Amino acid sequence: MNPPLFSRRRLLRWLAAALPAGPALALQQPSGAVVLTVTGRVGQTNAGGVARFDMAMLEQLPQRSFVTATPWYATAHKFTGPLLRDVLGACGASGSTLRAIALNDYSVDLPFDDAQRHDVLLARLLDDKPMAVRDRGPLFIIYPFDSDAQLRTTVYYSRSAWQLKALEVR
Amino acid sequence: MAAQSARSPLDIDPVPAAKARERRRITLLWLLGAVLVLALAAVALVQARQFAMLKQSVAYQDDYAVLSLYQAEAEYLRLREYWVLAQHERERVDTVALQLRYDIWVSRVGLLHHQAIARLMDGNDEYTAPLRQMEAFIARADKVLGPNSARPLDLAALAALQSELDALGAPIHSMMLSASHHVSAQIEARNAAVRRHNQVALVLTLCLSLLLLAFGALALRQMRLLGERQRTLVDLTAHLREAQHQAEAASEAKSVFLANMSHEIRTPFHGLLGMLSLLRDTGLNTRQAQYLRTATESADHLLTILNDVLDMSLLESGRLTLTLEAVNLRDLLREVEALMRPQAQAKSLALHIDADPGVPEAVRADRTRVKQILFNLVNNAVKFSDRGVVVVDLRRALDGEGREWLEFLVTDTGIGMDQVTMERLFKRFSQGDESRSRRHGGTGLGLEISRSLARLMGGDVTAQSAPGEGSSFCLRVPLQAVAAAPRNVSGALPGEAAPAAAAPLRVLVAEDHPVNRQYMAALLEGMGHHAHFAANGLEAVQAVREQRFDVVLMDLHMPLLDGVGATLSIRALPDGASATVPIIALTADAFAQTRERCLMAGMNDFLAKPVSPERLSAMLRRLFGGASADAAAPAPAPAAAPVLLDRATLDAAMRAVSRERLAQLLRDFFDEGPQMVERLRVALRDGQALDLRVNAHAARGAALNFGLNALAQTAQALHEGATHVPAHEIARLIQRFEHLLRDSRVACEAAGLFEPVTG
Repeated sequence: MNPPLFSRRRLLRWLAAALPAGPALALQQPSGAVVLTVTGRVGQTNAGGVARFDMAMLEQLPQRSFVTATPWYATAHKFTGPLLRDVLGACGASGSTLRAIALNDYSVDLPFDDAQRHDVLLARLLDDKPMAVRDRGPLFIIYPFDSDAQLRTTVYYSRSAWQLKALEVR
Repeated sequence: MAAQSARSPLDIDPVPAAKARERRRITLLWLLGAVLVLALAAVALVQARQFAMLKQSVAYQDDYAVLSLYQAEAEYLRLREYWVLAQHERERVDTVALQLRYDIWVSRVGLLHHQAIARLMDGNDEYTAPLRQMEAFIARADKVLGPNSARPLDLAALAALQSELDALGAPIHSMMLSASHHVSAQIEARNAAVRRHNQVALVLTLCLSLLLLAFGALALRQMRLLGERQRTLVDLTAHLREAQHQAEAASEAKSVFLANMSHEIRTPFHGLLGMLSLLRDTGLNTRQAQYLRTATESADHLLTILNDVLDMSLLESGRLTLTLEAVNLRDLLREVEALMRPQAQAKSLALHIDADPGVPEAVRADRTRVKQILFNLVNNAVKFSDRGVVVVDLRRALDGEGREWLEFLVTDTGIGMDQVTMERLFKRFSQGDESRSRRHGGTGLGLEISRSLARLMGGDVTAQSAPGEGSSFCLRVPLQAVAAAPRNVSGALPGEAAPAAAAPLRVLVAEDHPVNRQYMAALLEGMGHHAHFAANGLEAVQAVREQRFDVVLMDLHMPLLDGVGATLSIRALPDGASATVPIIALTADAFAQTRERCLMAGMNDFLAKPVSPERLSAMLRRLFGGASADAAAPAPAPAAAPVLLDRATLDAAMRAVSRERLAQLLRDFFDEGPQMVERLRVALRDGQALDLRVNAHAARGAALNFGLNALAQTAQALHEGATHVPAHEIARLIQRFEHLLRDSRVACEAAGLFEPVTG
């Protein structure tokens, strides 16, 4: 399903991202529908002080996947997507708190450190399939619950925002 | 009877009561332990349940379920708003936004299927009916707004579904309310459960605290009991120690009483004995002599018993001390033989006394006590044998540890003993058997005393026997050989014929007992001496001050001034002649300390009561020489007297130096003699004991080199006696030395060792 890793288009985009293209416009422009907007203390932006990502841009970041049980599904499922810290890294975000905002305006604060300390996934695939809004898509913050007992508490479950649409770096 | 019954409650055997108490205590402990375990288990159970409840709530918060329902309603309301807006705006309708709202709501409805919510609303009609209603609506709406719906938006279909959408409002709302009520009810239930648990926990904690207190009280009680027990033990120990002290003191007092009593009995008894012996010489007819013999035998027997009792009490009170001195063993055996042979002969028994060649000439021992043991053993052997032979064998033995022993074996061919008798043999008051003791008499203390004495010496007395095969007793003492032993200076054996001392002597007898005074008077006058009397110490001192006496016989126990005090006073008199009068202690007191005290006070010798004519005679002879003998022949046992000239030594000396040189040396020695004697006399006069010793020692060394044995022995006696032998004795020894010097010279000249000095 994924495009070849070294397609010409991707290579060109990488080169473009790597080249110094001015301080405020270091991030490439999204070509498709914007699925994630990062606001606040963002170093690299692509539209008026915010960093906007379409699904393709997220897909270009290194992908990780793991299988874990969650409170929201009866069985364990496989989640795939970029690591939260890679997403934050891509837009040069730095701060102490992240506010995750969902499509239904649900919001939750998570410590900025969480992205460094845990392999927090910005899941875009559920069992290798894109998630529709009605399936809690398109983006779902997922902690590796199965690998660390400490994560299996209400605190982390509440931080796992689904139908994610924006991140506010504070 | 009344006293009996009154006492009985106190006399209950304490053991069962204590046991019952102990059992009750153990049961109580078990009970307490069981309650404690139960309480701990209950606490664990409560905590486990609380933990389970917590876990349940952690699994998925019911609050979140309510939140989901609430959000589902909110999203429904927003969707309805968009839905209405879309129909109003028609061409400008934002399809994407409507679809997004629709999808979000659908996702919320999907969440309502979640098992947590299902569990929360389980079996509730207000839940399942709206859910089915919503699902039916979504199935129809998906055709318009779902992922596979046709574009552009079918506004007619949208309008058609409007009423259906509106109809969902009421059930969704009531569902939300019902859930929130349900949840609050559940929360209330859970809180109630927690409260209940807390109450239980509180009760349990109370229980635990009580138990802890109970255990504490128990421990405290136990500690107090332990303390009490220890105090009781300490008290008991003190009590026992006190009791032991008292018992020991009582035993000691009894021993002392016994010693004193036997001593007290002996004093008048001596008078009796003395009188009996005097009666013998008063020309009795045969019948009277027979009576007298029987009386004397009885008295002797009684004296033996008294002596045994005294010895026993001394041994028991630990006041018997040994007087160690150099003892000539062969002399000792001769004395035993002299005493025992008449008895053996009277029973037609042969008596063999023999010493192995390996036995040393002299050993360090308590002469009197060794003799006492031997007398006892031999006496027993003679007593219990009716035929055959009694053998006394002296030998040297080496034990496994390399120590040397002296063994006196007394063997007889008598009736022997069986094992039972042997076992009782050394026990107090036990005799071979009753019939035998009647036949042979005795106190039954003899063997016990013998063994105690032997053990005091570091040895033992053992016995071997079989019935009909005779017995063998062995006295074993540690061998302490000494280089030389003085001849038995106490001289005459009891029973030996006693030639009278040089008579007449003026004798002062200080004695408070009239019977004893009479006895002593008869005794001394019988020997041809002049007896004077003093009834106490003061009179004695007065008498010595007023007239000259050759000797004073001093009783120790006298009123006003005792013997020791009187001696001290006499020795302190200004007149030299009076102050140096020989004083002989008279006492029945057998304590070694008494003897020591006498000598320390300045007495010259010691005469044990009863005073027999033989012993008195021997003592006087020792002090003043025999009636017919002069100072040149002082030795009481001429057979054993050392030779004037030992040829073997002289020959050896001659081999070392030339005959001429030896002659010269001998002449020098004899020429030097008068100066030597003079030096000894000066030392004696000036009271220079050390000078006396040094000179005597030098003389002895020289005399020994030349083989002048008699001379050497006298010099040695001077050397040994210099510090403690009384002056008149020393003077006598010096005189003897002078005579021997002359005799030895004559002997040497006679042997042709050197030419007599002419002119």
